[in-house]
Amino acid sequence: MPAILSTDLVTGIISFLLTLMILSYLIGDNPAFRVAVYIFVGVSAGYAAAVAWWQVLFPRILMPLLAGSLTERVLALIALALGILLLMKLSPRTSTLGNPSIAFLVGVSAAVAVGGAVMGTIIPQTQASINLFSLSSAGNLWLERFFFGIIMLLGTITSLVYFHFGAKATPDGPKRSRLVTILGGIGQVFIAITLGVLFAGVLAASMTALIERLNFLWSFLAKLL
Amino acid sequence: MKFKGITSTVIAISFGVLVLAGYIFGYNADGSLSLLGQFQLIILNIAVILAGFAVLVGIFNLLLVHTKKISQKQKGAGYSIVLIVTLVITFLLGLLAHYVPIAAALFNGAFQYIQLPIETSLMALLVVTLTYASIRLLRRRLNVLSVIFLVTAWVILVGTAPWPFLGDVPFFSDIVRPIIAQIPAAAGARGILIGVALGTLTTGLRILFGSDRPYGGKNG
Repeated sequence: MPAILSTDLVTGIISFLLTLMILSYLIGDNPAFRVAVYIFVGVSAGYAAAVAWWQVLFPRILMPLLAGSLTERVLALIALALGILLLMKLSPRTSTLGNPSIAFLVGVSAAVAVGGAVMGTIIPQTQASINLFSLSSAGNLWLERFFFGIIMLLGTITSLVYFHFGAKATPDGPKRSRLVTILGGIGQVFIAITLGVLFAGVLAASMTALIERLNFLWSFLAKLL
Repeated sequence: MKFKGITSTVIAISFGVLVLAGYIFGYNADGSLSLLGQFQLIILNIAVILAGFAVLVGIFNLLLVHTKKISQKQKGAGYSIVLIVTLVITFLLGLLAHYVPIAAALFNGAFQYIQLPIETSLMALLVVTLTYASIRLLRRRLNVLSVIFLVTAWVILVGTAPWPFLGDVPFFSDIVRPIIAQIPAAAGARGILIGVALGTLTTGLRILFGSDRPYGGKNG
């Protein structure tokens, strides 16, 4: 099947060249790397625009306007009007007309963020912290569990305290209280450990990506030769 | 009283409060969607559409910036040509993908053979940049916290990686790594998560109360 083989060859060469162009950054910033990055930005933006059209605008605006009920048409028209106002943001002269659309987006996003923060993070994380001290299911290991629970609670609270930036005004300038300074210092240690674990995770993931890319380059060259 | 942007402020607060109220009073006692819940769904649907428009606005803006760069023959205009050509071609392929099979194949190919290799290669570059950054950290800011950070990273890497001829490293893989990852690191992560959530909550409430108006209002 020569057609399929040639397609494989072309796509392989494209991937091979792009990989080399990006990895060429290891010898310093160079035009090949920049071309690859600009291609990436262009393709990603075009891809995002196409997805926005087919996944959002076409099914939620065009389809209801063409074949929807009266209510659907009215809602699509409202969304379309707000969308057109948003497009006004593109020009500095008409930019003010886009403010109501931005305000709508900001207001709704703020409400979603508040709801998400409370119901998606604060309540579940607090619940998880409380559950650490549910010792009835721990059996004989209750002491070990209690000890780890105390460390977890200490780490959580001190990490939070570290982000408390309130300070008292003193003649020598703003100063944090002694307790906050001590607890924040302990929190810094926990945060350093957390960031260390995250760093190791990202490093391991990027190592995997490097191995995959080098393996691809090697196997492509081996096939070609 | 002069109050610039009052319309935008009223829109932001009223729709924000409606959506927030929908989270609390969105369901009737029998589990069905209440009127407020239905309102919330409609508002969220419109917000999703606007987010789609916002993506287009961002991409149009990108196009405008690079077109200007080309027309003014600024430095790096050649790269801008590459960007615009690839953007327009990918977008057109995406538009035609639902009608022309070859366009669909090329559109998917753009993801598989251009985006994916570049993204993976950029990720691969991180190995070098992160290693270099950690060495710089040791040389420039050597203190207890940076040592804790790097020792933790080292211990986790030693405990995670399958080493040649050795596999898992005894003590590191089965004791040290799980304890560090599941207790102090989890505690710090929980603190950071709750801190971020509290920050998000505060910022969101400031917008809903009208104290912050990042949409062109008085304080915007």
